[in-house]
Amino acid sequence: MPIAESEVRWVKAPTLGLLDRLYIPAIIEGLGTTIKHIFQPPVTQQFPEERPDLPANYRGLHRLNRDTEGRVKCVACYMCSTACPAHCIDIVAAPAPAEWKDREKYPEMFVIDELRCIYCGMCEQACPCDAIELTSMFDLTGLTREEMMFDKEKLLSVFDQTAGTEKDPIRTKAGALSCASEPAK
Amino acid sequence: MAVVLINDKPVDIGNERLNLVQAAAKAGVFIPHYCWHPALSVVASCRMCLVEVGDKKPDGTVAMQPRVVPACQTPAKDGTVCITNSEKAKFSQARTLEGLLLNHPLDCPVCDKAGECMLQDYSYRFGKAQSRMIDPKNRPANKPDIGEHLSLFTDRCIMCSRCVRFTREISGSAELQVINRGHHSEIDIFPGDPVNNPLAGNVVDLCPVGALANKEFLYKQRVWFLKSQKSVCAGCSTGCSIHIDHNKDIVYRIRPRENPQAQGYFICDEGRFDFPYINGKERFDRPLVKPAGERSEPAESAVAWETALPDIRDVLKKSASALAAVVSPMLTVEEAYLFAKLIKGFSPQATLYLGWVPNVGKDESFPRDRKGNPVGPVQFTIRAEKCPNRRGVEEVLKHFQGEVLGFDRLIADISSPLPTGGEGAGVRRRPQALYLTAGYPPRLGAWLNDEQTKTLSTIPLLIVQDLAPTPITQTARYVLPAATFAEKDGCFVNHANLAQQIRWAVRPGTMGRTDGQIFLSLLGRRGLIQATKIRQELAAEIPFFAPLAVGDLGEFGVKLG
Amino acid sequence: MLISTILTILIIFGALQALAGGLVYVERKICAFMQNRIGPNRVGPVGLLQILADGLKFIMKEEFVPHYADKSVFIIAPAIGLVCAMLCFAVVPFGATDNPADADYITHYQFIIAKNVDIGILFIFAVSSLTVYGIILGGWASNNKYSLIGGLRSSAQIISYEIPLGLSILGVVLMTGSLNLERIIWKQASGGILEWNIWFQPLAFLLFMISSFAECNRLPFDLPETEQELVGGYHTEYNGMKLAFFFLGEYTHMVTSCFLMVILFFGGWHFPFIAEADMWWGLKLIVFVAKMALFIVFYMLVRWTIPRFRFDQLMSLAWKVLIPMTLLNLVAVMFVKEYGITPWVLLPVSLGILVGAGLIASQPESKESPLAA
Repeated sequence: MPIAESEVRWVKAPTLGLLDRLYIPAIIEGLGTTIKHIFQPPVTQQFPEERPDLPANYRGLHRLNRDTEGRVKCVACYMCSTACPAHCIDIVAAPAPAEWKDREKYPEMFVIDELRCIYCGMCEQACPCDAIELTSMFDLTGLTREEMMFDKEKLLSVFDQTAGTEKDPIRTKAGALSCASEPAK
Repeated sequence: MAVVLINDKPVDIGNERLNLVQAAAKAGVFIPHYCWHPALSVVASCRMCLVEVGDKKPDGTVAMQPRVVPACQTPAKDGTVCITNSEKAKFSQARTLEGLLLNHPLDCPVCDKAGECMLQDYSYRFGKAQSRMIDPKNRPANKPDIGEHLSLFTDRCIMCSRCVRFTREISGSAELQVINRGHHSEIDIFPGDPVNNPLAGNVVDLCPVGALANKEFLYKQRVWFLKSQKSVCAGCSTGCSIHIDHNKDIVYRIRPRENPQAQGYFICDEGRFDFPYINGKERFDRPLVKPAGERSEPAESAVAWETALPDIRDVLKKSASALAAVVSPMLTVEEAYLFAKLIKGFSPQATLYLGWVPNVGKDESFPRDRKGNPVGPVQFTIRAEKCPNRRGVEEVLKHFQGEVLGFDRLIADISSPLPTGGEGAGVRRRPQALYLTAGYPPRLGAWLNDEQTKTLSTIPLLIVQDLAPTPITQTARYVLPAATFAEKDGCFVNHANLAQQIRWAVRPGTMGRTDGQIFLSLLGRRGLIQATKIRQELAAEIPFFAPLAVGDLGEFGVKLG
Repeated sequence: MLISTILTILIIFGALQALAGGLVYVERKICAFMQNRIGPNRVGPVGLLQILADGLKFIMKEEFVPHYADKSVFIIAPAIGLVCAMLCFAVVPFGATDNPADADYITHYQFIIAKNVDIGILFIFAVSSLTVYGIILGGWASNNKYSLIGGLRSSAQIISYEIPLGLSILGVVLMTGSLNLERIIWKQASGGILEWNIWFQPLAFLLFMISSFAECNRLPFDLPETEQELVGGYHTEYNGMKLAFFFLGEYTHMVTSCFLMVILFFGGWHFPFIAEADMWWGLKLIVFVAKMALFIVFYMLVRWTIPRFRFDQLMSLAWKVLIPMTLLNLVAVMFVKEYGITPWVLLPVSLGILVGAGLIASQPESKESPLAA
């Protein structure tokens, strides 16, 4: 669809006067700007010593939440691995242990390939029971690829580290659908 | 000639006896339904198919009934008027669905049915998003031991009673019934009498919600990850149409596919649950060769296809005049054709034998009561002949050899004092080389007894094509991997001469090749096997298979003979 | 005599190398400050050892020559660049020099390697023009399109800017009556601050400075090595010590041109009351180097202030603006010398030429002009 003539505003190149054409005032003005910046305080963050103050909705390392009894909250519905655009979530589901009276299904294995992950947060959005969340931990390193495959225990330990701290993801609320992991009210 | 008006659209239903759900389907209008199933009796218990119904009088006036009625229970007659999209009909359907969902636990995340659940689909299309239920829901206890392969999630049930009717009308065993009344009704079994009839697995497919689950498939995969391939069961000579549900080269589930020409709507548990061998770890996936002269030595070494196949062709050529080949009834028609062509190509004196035809017990027909007596007309038959393609292979052998020699004849011929050489096509010889194709599923057990194995191992050159190690592969000089029905294209001819197409769903291992591909390569033809082309070739050559010239046999197959 | 010359050569070489390394550090720091950053601060106190680390890294790197490159030329090109840049320094005084007219000038130690070279400026121009060979050969020998384009751009640019560079200092040479750099310094130093050439040749200074930016391949004229278009320009394929040679050559060039600006226009080592002709040589050295350092800092400020020119703009600046202005300036000096007018006339004349050029440029361009966009 062509743009309506009424919406078109023609802009002409500005005509340069004598001072503009000499360029020297403009250059001096530019030099003034750069010199001014020399005396401004630096904004650099000295990373390993200074930690960035990330917002609570930062999308960093995943965690698997625990329910009130300390069990993994995940019900292995595969919504996250379905939503994952990078196909980095690998789940093996199994019938829940017999002593988990309120649960039918749980993840026997839950592995996120943190190297493949693009940290888009779709898994978190897809999760019907708020079991997976992205924390503000961002500086994870590993010496091997295997080390960066975060399994269930590792992801639960991320929860243990981040839960209750000031950097707890702000979305941690019991969802309406978190039927299988929330204790009956 | 009857004309029914569905949403003001006239549909000619001819002389068929249809209900309004079926008549509407002819008009391209879908009426939601849970309890109605074409193979089962009508109970109109779910009330999901409520529509407005009226009659068009000969003078053109229409008299509508004042209330909505279930479409599944209303026969379509000439002049029946059915309205499915009026406010009243839609309101009734939405309220019905709300009622069905009152006690439904909404545990879709952990439910195996999610993704193919009719509650989900209908809620999306016909229902409303939110429940107004504020009271606590009924949470009856699950019944995980309702059957050997079945688990009942009682709280998800919407009491459509399809499963109950199935056990009464199709399997005849009547294990399931509804207990209690009203909101507290549940599906249950008699204590200590689980649903273990040979057709029990069908109730899982019949269940429109996630209440009845297949324990073998439970929590293995979400259904939306599965890819489905239309195929044919290789379990018996009935040749039931099936869906093979697979993902990443692993078969996870086999479901029945409706085929009025073959078996109807259902399959037996034998075919449904006998697929794990396809994913088996012990299967061969490359040729194994034993050094010549060391036949008792079990140390075989895997070799590349590129060296094994020319080798095998050479040794077969050398012993062409005393060559025998066993054509397994597990092969497709195309493979049997290629194999026969290959063997007869070496020498017209080479002999083809039909492979072992497994016969287990007797044909089982359903419905039958607990004592095994038939009740009413036959709805489903499990055949004793546990191979899918005896008819097809026989016809191929007849064409190439004029007669069908059974497996017993082979055993007899090996131990007979027949000459090992000589001229003439009609003269029978003692085989000096044997190319044996097998591919029988392990469920059938060891198909050669010790004596037969011993007899076979006296043959100097033995080539065995099989799925997994067996005593006979131990003694063979060459072992080639066979492929299962889920891995190859082709067609099977069932007991009633119905040729049905099978299509590959998974790949035969990393290095594996299908039987047809092996025969094709041995024939010296290049490229990958194209079953359709081979089928057309054999249709042109063998008169019995002439109807296969269409190439693609469609969903339901083609009748032969 | 010979020994002192050799010592001077050694010291100068060493100092120049160290200075080049130091300049990289200074440049990174200044750049960082301008961008509200901190700059190198990890190696040593305030990152001072970064120089060593960088040098070490250059030395330790694998000497890699692309197999499709012309190997001998590829290796020799950076050496040509560096040697020519260094060679210029032979006639550049870097500290106290006496009056070259004195009888004992030759016998006394002077802060210069080759004393009393009468064609001093000519020598510098001649040798420094050769550095472009290093760039062109490097770009060609790399056998890579980006490198070749970088090298060709460099040759076109340097040939164009040699002309205003040479013409701009002719005024100074005419007024001094000598090409000898020591004489040019001495003339300004002996006459006090009001004898500095900057008062009579401000326009020439401006033009000289612009041209030397281009000669050194510094921003805004670093077209031979534009990262955005040419990856690395002529040194795309270079790494390790060979790449370091190119950098050293470039920084040496920059130091030389800063010294020249001080010598030609700002009285060399002279500064009123601090470094007069009869004062201690040490003060003169400090003043000289300080002046030079100021120019280097200015170079760096300009680098991070003004964006890069487009190549056609670069060319039209040289041929359409700088060369006519230098010619007019030269004519003015000739008039002054011929008719014996006071050289102070040149100050308003210079400004007049500049404003006149501005006036011409600010006229509305005709449609026929190829530059009318």
